[in-house]
Amino acid sequence: MARSNIGEFEELVLLVVAILNDNAYGISVMEEIESQTGRKINISAVHSALDRLESKGFLDSHVGGATKARGGRRKRFFKITVAGQKALDFIKEQRNRLYDQIPKLSLDYVSL
Amino acid sequence: MSPYDQEPPQWAIKFLRFYCKPRALEIIEGDAYELFYKRIESEGVKTARKKFSWDVLKFFRFRYIKGLEDINSLNNIVMLKNYIKISFRSLLKQRFYSLINIGGLAIGLAACLLITMYITHELSYDKFHSDSDRIYRLGAWTPARLAIQSKMDIPEIDEATRLQGPFSQTFNIDGKIFKEPMGFNADSTFNKVFSVEFVEGNPSEALSEPNSIVLTQSLSNKLFDYQSALGKVIKVDGELIKVTGVVVDPPKNTHFRYNFIGSYPNETWVTVGNWTGNNFYTYIKLAKGSDPTEVQDKLKELAGKYVGPELVKFTGHASYEDYLAEGGRERNFPMRLMTDLHLYHPRLSLRSGGDINNVYIFSAVALFILIIACINFMNLSTARSAMRSKEVGMRKVLGSLRKQLVNQFLVESMMVSIISMVLALGLAALVLNGFNNLADRSFDYNDLFMGQVLLQLLVLVLIVGLLAGSYPAFVLSGFKPIKALKGEVQKGGKGSSFLRKGLVAFQFAISIFLIISTVVVFKQLNFLSNQKLGFDAEQVLVIKNTNVLENDAELFKNRLSQMPAVERMSMTRDFMSGGVSDWGYQTIEDNPREHSFINMFATDGFLETMGLQLVEGRNFTNELVSDTASILINEAAKKWLGWDEVLGRKLSRGDGEDYTIVGVTNDFNFTSLKRKIEPVIIRVMGNDGRVEADWYAGNYVYLRVSGDYKRTVEMVEELWEETVLDEPFEYAFLDESFAALYKEEERFGKLFTASSGLAVVIACLGLFALAAFTLERRFKEIAVRKVLGASVKSITLMILKNFTQLVAAGAIIAIPVGYFVMEGWLQDFAYQISLNNPMIWILPALFVAMIAWLTVGFLSAKTAMSNPIKALRSE
Repeated sequence: MARSNIGEFEELVLLVVAILNDNAYGISVMEEIESQTGRKINISAVHSALDRLESKGFLDSHVGGATKARGGRRKRFFKITVAGQKALDFIKEQRNRLYDQIPKLSLDYVSL
Repeated sequence: MSPYDQEPPQWAIKFLRFYCKPRALEIIEGDAYELFYKRIESEGVKTARKKFSWDVLKFFRFRYIKGLEDINSLNNIVMLKNYIKISFRSLLKQRFYSLINIGGLAIGLAACLLITMYITHELSYDKFHSDSDRIYRLGAWTPARLAIQSKMDIPEIDEATRLQGPFSQTFNIDGKIFKEPMGFNADSTFNKVFSVEFVEGNPSEALSEPNSIVLTQSLSNKLFDYQSALGKVIKVDGELIKVTGVVVDPPKNTHFRYNFIGSYPNETWVTVGNWTGNNFYTYIKLAKGSDPTEVQDKLKELAGKYVGPELVKFTGHASYEDYLAEGGRERNFPMRLMTDLHLYHPRLSLRSGGDINNVYIFSAVALFILIIACINFMNLSTARSAMRSKEVGMRKVLGSLRKQLVNQFLVESMMVSIISMVLALGLAALVLNGFNNLADRSFDYNDLFMGQVLLQLLVLVLIVGLLAGSYPAFVLSGFKPIKALKGEVQKGGKGSSFLRKGLVAFQFAISIFLIISTVVVFKQLNFLSNQKLGFDAEQVLVIKNTNVLENDAELFKNRLSQMPAVERMSMTRDFMSGGVSDWGYQTIEDNPREHSFINMFATDGFLETMGLQLVEGRNFTNELVSDTASILINEAAKKWLGWDEVLGRKLSRGDGEDYTIVGVTNDFNFTSLKRKIEPVIIRVMGNDGRVEADWYAGNYVYLRVSGDYKRTVEMVEELWEETVLDEPFEYAFLDESFAALYKEEERFGKLFTASSGLAVVIACLGLFALAAFTLERRFKEIAVRKVLGASVKSITLMILKNFTQLVAAGAIIAIPVGYFVMEGWLQDFAYQISLNNPMIWILPALFVAMIAWLTVGFLSAKTAMSNPIKALRSE
């Protein structure tokens, strides 16, 4: 499979979009990341990550859901694509494979 | 209160809407609002608003900023690329026209660039001083007390300082002698008025002690070979002086361009001074926010209070009020902004040599050259338009909008002007030295490639491109596609060819005007140099600084007289061609009259050394003691006196100091011919260089020499070095000194020669291209004429006639304007050439006509002689 050129933060965003399933848009993604990892991030960072992932084909989006909470403005919902799913699988598999090859010795060292 | 009633900061929303891509705007705005409302509840309104703004700022990323494609559509960029490509192709396709276009414009722009640089420089004088808008110069020469008294009496005056200079002084550093110009004396407060940056020494104490001197860095480096100069004691003009400071060299754009500044001696003429002798330049700095007109009024009051009582002691009035009542001149110290001195008061500036008129003249010349170049540009573009009518037609058929065509042609003209700009920069750099000569400045590449100058050039280029390109752009884009494709030549109506002709005539007018100016300037200069001065300035060698000789003067003169090359000599106080001061004398008669005569002092050899003629009476002689009160006058003085018999009559300096006229010399000019001959008195100076026992005035020795000048100068120099220790040998030839008086006018002459040369060259380039184009269009017509029996001569004449009319039209405009302008210029001279010489006017016009005939004639003869078959065969 082709190398999935995906950054660390992008991976995080991609995962969260997958978790949120039908309710993934800028703020929900940001809040989810904050609550799951405790990282403080700016909404603009989330937006550009989402945009990048979409242009790479890992996410799909549609516009909808104007609410009063947004002053009547619509939001852009994101959904993970098959390519996105495969990229996540690939990353996970690769990481696990590498992780499993770590000799015991160095793991001790790391855990110190 | 519901959070939805709150609003985020308006500026942030506006900013977001300004930069954000439309596609992303709603989503970003929505998220930002949602966060804002949430935060109101959790963190309060204030923080929410702050964070909202922060979010918006963080969204300012390349990804979300509107690009070109958002402003209109992606298509525009592609089209722009296409325009540039097409422009290149059409420029390359018609290399000849493009070359003339770009070359001419580059020359024009280069001239403009240099002159922009010059003007920027001239306008920047003295602006670098901090608070330069509050620094004023008082009067021209002012009394010693003015600075101190005005600072004490007028609260608005923050600081005041006095200067004297510039003068040259001789530095003796361990036996090495340097003569350094541009030295000043100043009060210790000078660094509070002017911005001076000290490298070494204490600014506030540098000039507070007598016998102190502050050197500029470059002078210090020269004298002390890059060693620290602070605290060194050096010999300046024979006195021991301590270096108390080294300052950064003043920039080029200051009227006060000192080389070194000495402190004042602790003497009463400085510290106490008086109110009647005007020996100082006074500069004041006003307090922030003070009203200069109010200060001016207070200065007037001050002048009345202190100068008034002193004044009436001389005039004999009871009081200053009486003096004023009897029509006496009210005393004041006019305030002039320091930044105005260089351009608007060149006489007051300390030899910075500026003049607002030069700025105007230079600008006018640059503008003329640029206009000529632009006219070429426009003419060639419109003329070529017909050739591109098919292209325009095709584009229109394929769906081009008129706007797009306009854009295309504008891009093309912008390209031409930008290429020209690059060339112009190179050209300007090449001729920078020559320009320095013309402008009497010392610009270097840093000045030329300064951001401000380049920015101005760029703006100029864009304007030129737009203006020059707009006419062809709008005419061409207006073509009807059907007609254009059918090959019908669309001239854009009669208007276009009329405009073209008018522009060419205007070019000729400018060229003729500039040539006329050149001719007049040179004729006047020639006239001046051939004008009889009344004496023979050739072969007169002047030895300067002989005032240092004092007691050695007689010995030095004796040894000079033994040199075979020295025919005659005379010692004088005054340097002919420089300024000679005037002294007031009274006639001795029933109703005494007073007049300021030009007053010279000389030993008895003066008349013969100078080649002056004695009209009546006799010369005075140094041998007769009784002759000390004898004077010579010139004919102008005799005329002023109005007496039938002047010999033996007396003039008085007052207090029984009477002088008897013993002889009358012919009239002579002692300085520039801008001044008329004035009444002159020549008084006796003793052979020892003394006018009175304690007054040594032998500043110059004049030698009438013969034979090998160079050898003579060397011999005199040897003698000088034997006699004088501390002063380098300086000399001048009198005829050269007189010629140097017209340096400014010569620069003018050069400027006009250069600019009229450029104007003619550019105009001819344009004419050549235009003629070539016209002939190309009339190729078939000429062929038909020829087939029908016209001769080469008649065809050539037919075409020449058209262009001759244009030259004539140009001459009709240029001659009256030239007459008017040059008459104004000549007003400066007491001796002028007559402008009513028709040759001045006809020759330049003929000259331009000749060049036009040559340019056009060559081409038209070539066309007329070509084989008509070639032109007609294609059909």
